[in-house]
Amino acid sequence: MEKLYRSHVLVCAGAGCVSSGCHAVAEALTREIAKNKLENEIRVIQTGCVGSCDLGPVIVVAPEGTFYQKLKAEDAVRIVEEHLLKGRVVEDLVHKNGQGDGVGGTIEDIPFFKLQKKLVLRNCGVIDPSNIDEYIARDGYAALGKVLTEMTPAQVIEEIKKSGLRGRGGGGFPTGLKWQFAADAKGEQKYILCNADEGDPGAFMDRSLLEGDPHSVIEGMIIGGYAIGASQGYVYVRAEYPLAIERLEHALSQAREYGLLGDNILGTGHKFNLEIRMGAGAFVCGEETALMASIEGKRGEPRPRPPFPAHSGLWESPTVLNNVETYANVPLIINMTADEFSKIGTEKSKGTKIFALAGNINNTGLVEVPMGTDLGTIIYDIGGGIGNGRKFKAAQAGGPSGGCIPKEHLNVPMDYDSLIQLGAMMGSGGLIIMDENTCMVDLARYFLDFIQDESCGKCTPCRVGTKRMLEILDRIAHGEGKEGDIELLEELGQRIKDSALCGLGQTAPNPVLSTLRYFRDEYEAHVRDKKCPACVCSSLFEAPCSHTCPAGTSVPKYVSLISQRRFGEALRIVRDHNPFAAVCGRVCNAPCENKCRRSQIDEPLSIRNLKRYVADLELKENKLPAVKCRPERTGKTVAIIGGGPAGLTAAFHLARMGHSPTVFEALPEAGGMLMWGIPEYRLPKAVLRQEIKAIEDLGVVIKTNTRVGKDISFEDIKKSFDAVFVGVGADKSWTLEIPGEDLDGVYDSIKFLRDVQLGKPVSVGEKVAVVGGGNAAIDAARTAHRLGAKEVTIVYRRLREDMPADPYEIHEAELEGIKIKFLMAPTEIIGENGKVKTLKCQLLELREFDKSGRRSPKPVEGAIIDLPVDSVISAISQEPELDFLGGNTLETKRGKIWADRLEGKTSAEGIFAGGDAVTGPATVIEAIGAGVKAAQGIDRFLGGTGEIPSDIEDIVIPGVPEDVDDIVETPRAKMPTLSVEKRSSKAEVELGFSRDEAVKEANRCLRCDACSLETR
Amino acid sequence: MSTHTCECEEKAQQVAADEKERYEKLDKIIETCKGQKGVLIQVLHQAQELFGWLPEDVQIKVAEGLNVPISEVNGVITFYSFFNTVPRGEHTIRVCLGTACYVRGGKQVLEQFEKELKVAVGGTTENRKFSLEVNRCVGACGLAPVVTVGADIYRRVKLDKIPGIIAKYTNGRS
Amino acid sequence: MKTLEDLKKIREQTLQAMKVREGEHNCKVVVAMGTCGIASGAREVMAAILDELEKNSVTDVTVTQSGCKGLCDREPTVDVIKSGEAPITYGFVTPEKARTIVTGHIINGQIQGEWVVATQE
Repeated sequence: MEKLYRSHVLVCAGAGCVSSGCHAVAEALTREIAKNKLENEIRVIQTGCVGSCDLGPVIVVAPEGTFYQKLKAEDAVRIVEEHLLKGRVVEDLVHKNGQGDGVGGTIEDIPFFKLQKKLVLRNCGVIDPSNIDEYIARDGYAALGKVLTEMTPAQVIEEIKKSGLRGRGGGGFPTGLKWQFAADAKGEQKYILCNADEGDPGAFMDRSLLEGDPHSVIEGMIIGGYAIGASQGYVYVRAEYPLAIERLEHALSQAREYGLLGDNILGTGHKFNLEIRMGAGAFVCGEETALMASIEGKRGEPRPRPPFPAHSGLWESPTVLNNVETYANVPLIINMTADEFSKIGTEKSKGTKIFALAGNINNTGLVEVPMGTDLGTIIYDIGGGIGNGRKFKAAQAGGPSGGCIPKEHLNVPMDYDSLIQLGAMMGSGGLIIMDENTCMVDLARYFLDFIQDESCGKCTPCRVGTKRMLEILDRIAHGEGKEGDIELLEELGQRIKDSALCGLGQTAPNPVLSTLRYFRDEYEAHVRDKKCPACVCSSLFEAPCSHTCPAGTSVPKYVSLISQRRFGEALRIVRDHNPFAAVCGRVCNAPCENKCRRSQIDEPLSIRNLKRYVADLELKENKLPAVKCRPERTGKTVAIIGGGPAGLTAAFHLARMGHSPTVFEALPEAGGMLMWGIPEYRLPKAVLRQEIKAIEDLGVVIKTNTRVGKDISFEDIKKSFDAVFVGVGADKSWTLEIPGEDLDGVYDSIKFLRDVQLGKPVSVGEKVAVVGGGNAAIDAARTAHRLGAKEVTIVYRRLREDMPADPYEIHEAELEGIKIKFLMAPTEIIGENGKVKTLKCQLLELREFDKSGRRSPKPVEGAIIDLPVDSVISAISQEPELDFLGGNTLETKRGKIWADRLEGKTSAEGIFAGGDAVTGPATVIEAIGAGVKAAQGIDRFLGGTGEIPSDIEDIVIPGVPEDVDDIVETPRAKMPTLSVEKRSSKAEVELGFSRDEAVKEANRCLRCDACSLETR
Repeated sequence: MSTHTCECEEKAQQVAADEKERYEKLDKIIETCKGQKGVLIQVLHQAQELFGWLPEDVQIKVAEGLNVPISEVNGVITFYSFFNTVPRGEHTIRVCLGTACYVRGGKQVLEQFEKELKVAVGGTTENRKFSLEVNRCVGACGLAPVVTVGADIYRRVKLDKIPGIIAKYTNGRS
Repeated sequence: MKTLEDLKKIREQTLQAMKVREGEHNCKVVVAMGTCGIASGAREVMAAILDELEKNSVTDVTVTQSGCKGLCDREPTVDVIKSGEAPITYGFVTPEKARTIVTGHIINGQIQGEWVVATQE
């Protein structure tokens, strides 16, 4: 009898952990165990891959199941002395769940493992793969015994058919049927082959199985051989997997020694031999006919089918080829019976599937789940979601032959047929998760480049066709794409699909076709706007920050000037496009920071606050910003309807270009949402007025208290001006659509904030509920608090991470004592004597994923709570008010004006539009960007070049410092704020950087614009 | 490399002896595999492990030994990326020529490496220490220009740093 | 060359040695291994328990260790936790007593009352 140990330490020795140093950890553990004289009590075993590759090296201490991760050899001392000797878990080395709340500790507690169903991987990470006895102990070779003694080959095939097992390597052909064909085929010699040429970059489950449980594959192949009548088999392993080859060789020799391979298996007289054939680095050898050519020792070129391998395969004999994971399923099915097996999975996809999770996801590694598990569960519950607070964009399934699945389809059940429907495929199970910083054009180019490189060259569609496609993609990525390129890609792709010789060629265009299907707008952005929204295709931009800024502000230029204390010049660069430097320095949502590459090192640059610093300097010194104007006037007039950021920006640039703009503003003062929507404590109106005045000083006429459609008709404006810009914003609030909205004490946020700003008496009472999750909701809540409400509660239907409001705004609101209730939606407002008394709310829970890629909130039956309130402010969304157009119909799209995104042209000649009226509620900087583009479009319409006069060219931009040797991690500068006690409705909360803070922060810039600077 | 010293000759003799031994081993490999079906690729694997690459003489020997046309042997070798028909260096130096690196002097860095190592891109030094290659962007643009040697990454490589990098690996082993 | 019978035998034997990885057992023995426990001879007690279990071919028992549990004056202490029964804590355990606990309590179900220092509900 084998020696008993009270504890087994299972050290994962999968390739991932090997590369991160698990051998050193195992040696150190063994050494420390001996040092503490525990060698007779505790055994160290090196197992196959546990699956959590990003955590390696990992160990599991049995019987407790304690899971230690990211170990170094020196950690062995503490694990042995504390845990193995004294029984105290070494807390800082065990796995932590999620946000670090509480200690996971044991392997059963960790969602990554808990939510999996490990059938095929049941032995990986549990047994010592080099010890056949351990495999046998876990029912190994029992299936073979049963098959050889109790079943006929026909019964085996019947059982496999009944199980519903389909090939795990690609197309998902029914395994039993494949075996049937080969069994029925005539031939003296038949072969059974295993495809272990896992060529798909990103998939590694086959390698893991061969390394962690090689006998299950061997057993599956022997059974297959018995079923079809083959006495010889080959495992075709890629040469890049030396460890897998070594373990498989070892396992084969053990199996031979035990008589499980050879001429008289288990004494039953059955004969079967198995050999390894090593590949030599050719992706095409994953295709079955090419693989067979390669085993024959030839160039791995595919040949046309038919004849199919089941009739004429290896050396023209009947042959069955399945992949590693398929064979590993076979003993499982025989042991658990086809009936039981077919209870797992979906109707047409039975059993489990192993996926290799990789890419921008928190937990990478191997996961095994029942077929039909939805993608969202794999990504969020098992994979732990997307890292760095980024958003999920798409998953690439099936490798270079597969396709992508966008966020709209997070509910897709992962089975063969559902994936095909989405234009993706199961393939071998590679699942690469991509976040918003992945460019789909670049991704398609990457895969096509791979395919082009791996094309064997035998047939023209694949050899030449993919090359042409790659050329087009290269062109698009370099900003040289032309109209028609996208259509050409589609046509070429379809032709290659229809005419290529083998599976590799036929699926080669898939990554392009699939990204085109879901991300056509991204291709169009590259071709038409010369924009790469993910900031990847570097030929298209100076730096990610400026490429992302809707107003096109050259961020690195002004930041580098700040770092040299050249503040005036920095401001000239900001103002060159954006008249609202001081405003944006306060309230811009700063999409530039989201793309800042500094975040790859530590945290993004505080770009917004740097802008505010230089703008404030100017305001303090009361110096009017000097911008360059065209010296001569054109005599053309432009009407701007709406004095918000879009309209005023357009007016600013039009005036610089020599035109005469007149702004029509319905309210007593221009500024739009900047004036009437954003509260004083966030944006002091004095600051805004100064910037509006600078615009007026350029000759812009602003007519306030003039509502178009009432005080002047749209028709009259059209007649008396050479061009019109419509920038009326979106200020019609959506109603909650629940009973009780007409009660006294119910406000919409737009009207509420406007009335406060106008100085009207607004009384909210003591208890206020605000419904919504955007910045408007936060502004309304903080304003209500400043009006004296004692208890302000925001009611939001999703979770904190889903709130559209800026995180720092949410943070400040909570600091001020505002409560946020998540997963709750109002159902009714109940009043008393016509006044609000109670807000009835339905509790919600998150269910399946919706089109936005978020889990959709659904009512929890019967869970309703009453919030006693004095007023309710709804801040859910708004839409433009377009009645003023009268009979003049402009084309609209979902209640918003349609306008071309490059120039702001609407469907009517001479009428342009931009801002929230076109986009729906969006950001200040987007409105400003729309104003810039519309001004250029209007100038062209009026006979100009569309060029904004500029004199920033003569500013010498500092070069990239040469002496910076290594970048030291430096956290982002924090914005000083007013203490909570001192806050009021007037006092600005954010205080601004000091000079030293600004200069220091500016110096953190990595100067991604280095490429575009003319160097030395 | 025209002036030979005594030491050089000794070394040359040693090299010749090693070479002879390798060919003898190759003969044995061919002997055991001869006659088996479809062993060409497996023999080439073993041959490459022995020689580090597959020189023409080895190809001829394998062709004759297995009684396969040399054209077929060469056809197989050139088909599979794993097989090398030029010797590889012990270390592969990759100079990034992504846009950022290119503009910040990646090209000059590459030229300097070519000068120092006396090889062109794609080539291997005579002492088989280094192979020189170029990379597309490695995504470290803020740190450009970037050079990788095996798994080691060097950032902001200036021309005067290059001899030091080469020296680190020259003196490292053997 | 092995037969099916041989395979079954290998299975039985290896399975017993591997049982510790399953984590589910009828009986758990916990030896307190704080500094005080070790100083009082807990290491020897642990060795004796393991040895006695092996001698008697008992495989469905988990032996594990814990930190100091506050009974420092009664060390070494050993907890015997049988499924469905209240945990029993023995104090002042010596290697000899430990062997008796194994044969008496764990194997034959006779609680060794005189050495019990605590029971928990």
